[in-house]
Amino acid sequence: MSVRKKSAADRFVTGFAYVFIGLFGLMCLYPLALTLSVSLSSEREVVLNGYSVLPQKFTVDTYRYIFLNSGSQIGRSYLVTILITVAGTLGAMLITSMIAFAISVRTLRYRNVIAFICNFTIVFSAGLIPWYVVCVNYYGLKNNILALILPSIFSVWNMFLMRTYFSTISPSLYEAAKIDGAGYFRIYWKIAVPLSKTAMLTVGMMYALQYWNDWWNALIFINDKKLFPLQYYLYTILSNVNAISSGRIPAGASAGLTLPAETVKMAVTIITIGPILFLYPLVQKYFVQGIMTGAVKE
Amino acid sequence: MNVRQGKSAEAKRSLKKRGVFVREMRENRELYLMCVPALIILVMFCYIPFAGTWMAFTDFNVVDGIFGSKFVGLDNFKFFFSRHSMGWKVIYNTLFINFFGIILGLIVPVSIAIFFNEIRSRLFKKLTQSFMFFPYFLSWVVVGAIIYGFFSSDVGVVNRILTELHMEPVKWYAEPKYWKGIIIFADMWKWSGYSSIIYMAAMAGFDGSLFEAAEVDGANKLQRILRLTIPMLKPAAVVLTLMSIGRIFYGDFGMIYGIVGNNPVLMDTVTVIDTYVYQTMRTMGFSYSTAIGLFQSLMGLILVTLANKAAKKVNEGEGLF
Repeated sequence: MSVRKKSAADRFVTGFAYVFIGLFGLMCLYPLALTLSVSLSSEREVVLNGYSVLPQKFTVDTYRYIFLNSGSQIGRSYLVTILITVAGTLGAMLITSMIAFAISVRTLRYRNVIAFICNFTIVFSAGLIPWYVVCVNYYGLKNNILALILPSIFSVWNMFLMRTYFSTISPSLYEAAKIDGAGYFRIYWKIAVPLSKTAMLTVGMMYALQYWNDWWNALIFINDKKLFPLQYYLYTILSNVNAISSGRIPAGASAGLTLPAETVKMAVTIITIGPILFLYPLVQKYFVQGIMTGAVKE
Repeated sequence: MNVRQGKSAEAKRSLKKRGVFVREMRENRELYLMCVPALIILVMFCYIPFAGTWMAFTDFNVVDGIFGSKFVGLDNFKFFFSRHSMGWKVIYNTLFINFFGIILGLIVPVSIAIFFNEIRSRLFKKLTQSFMFFPYFLSWVVVGAIIYGFFSSDVGVVNRILTELHMEPVKWYAEPKYWKGIIIFADMWKWSGYSSIIYMAAMAGFDGSLFEAAEVDGANKLQRILRLTIPMLKPAAVVLTLMSIGRIFYGDFGMIYGIVGNNPVLMDTVTVIDTYVYQTMRTMGFSYSTAIGLFQSLMGLILVTLANKAAKKVNEGEGLF
């Protein structure tokens, strides 16, 4: 009797688990499906019936329209985004892995000093304005493509994540290489990096995602439309729509702005996340691994 | 005689110290060189800007420069806390949004991790985890676009549902009162999948024999969750929550601007310290906004230090970083 009662309670917990997780999963998927569906719908149907999760009168006209009309701006923004993602990620990985390797070597006397210099920047910062003034007045980053790369090229978090991986490598490997006459840079390049392929991939993807999704640096530094990354281009479109829907922008101010059609907004959104959508199944596990490693450290 | 001896010993020691430094630099030159690029970036973007915080105590103008402008003491800070500025309101918004963010950011991911663990079907696990993790990959701009799809007055999903239910549709983008809630919810939506992975990692390290023993002793699933899983998740939960508390004075600029954009009607209710700094930079000049940023950093420093101390207490000497 008690056994059956218990198993009923257990079954309830299991059932609830399926429902809860299932619903939460759908809640995360639904908005995406909605966006995709609207971008593939005909504009007239969407205005008539509102957004829906199944395409209404399936058509790829919106995408065709975008590439024919604002194709040049989107194409340009795409190129900017790809450029900063590739250049930024490669640079960031080199810079991050070198310092992470250096302070993972236990015989390095001042490694704690260096770690402290890094850590301190997480705990205390000068704030936006001094940073902005220095970047614009002294480094000349206004309307400079380097403004989209340099400020985020070194993440202390990612560095510590990498150091965790590097410190699992046995020091005796380094000693052996040193006896064979290899310098530390050679050891880093020929031993540490190849042994930490997963770590390199994980951190590299985190950087790549950060660069791909960045629009903050563009908001701060870039006025020149030619240098707009994709995310920022989407932001400018949506921000105008948003301001106009508040209903309090004076008619004169909004007269010059034409609202893009609903399907266009969603199609631009899909174009923006396109590569993430395609790569997601492949890269997901690396991110999970990265998060788990970071968590273990804590 | 004695004095001289003392002096020479001291000199020897300092010489030895320098010797150690020089020898270390020579021996590990390559390793130190490998740190240089990262350190240059930190100096450029984190340490040199510290000099600029001086602007907070001056009435900055471009002609006189950072150190030539008139010194005004704490006037900028006083103005921030006076009735003439939005100071208190902005602090309130920041703390309000973060407070509920922290609570949801604790309950929801822990629940996900616990219930996810009860699911046996591998396919179901794989699919749902992919869905739940996906929002983490979207920028706040994209999330803003999605939210627009829900709350747009004419075509948005929410208003269509309200009409179906014979209720009055709402002009969401002209109604400030809903947006704190929407933002808190969006934050939860974006981060829950990510945070739940951290708790799953913690659960993967649990001692399975404890659970088997409990099962043999006749504890049902709910009892095992309440008596074993939750207490064992506590250290991880405490550390993560302390970390968020340490950052409670920091708003998420991207989240606010990505979702609300430059909508003038909604801005007031969701302006947090970070967005306020950005706005005042453009309207009230560098000195005032620098002061607010400095205030925020100081609060952050104090809270993070306290949180770190607390974490050490809970976590057997292991701090947050």
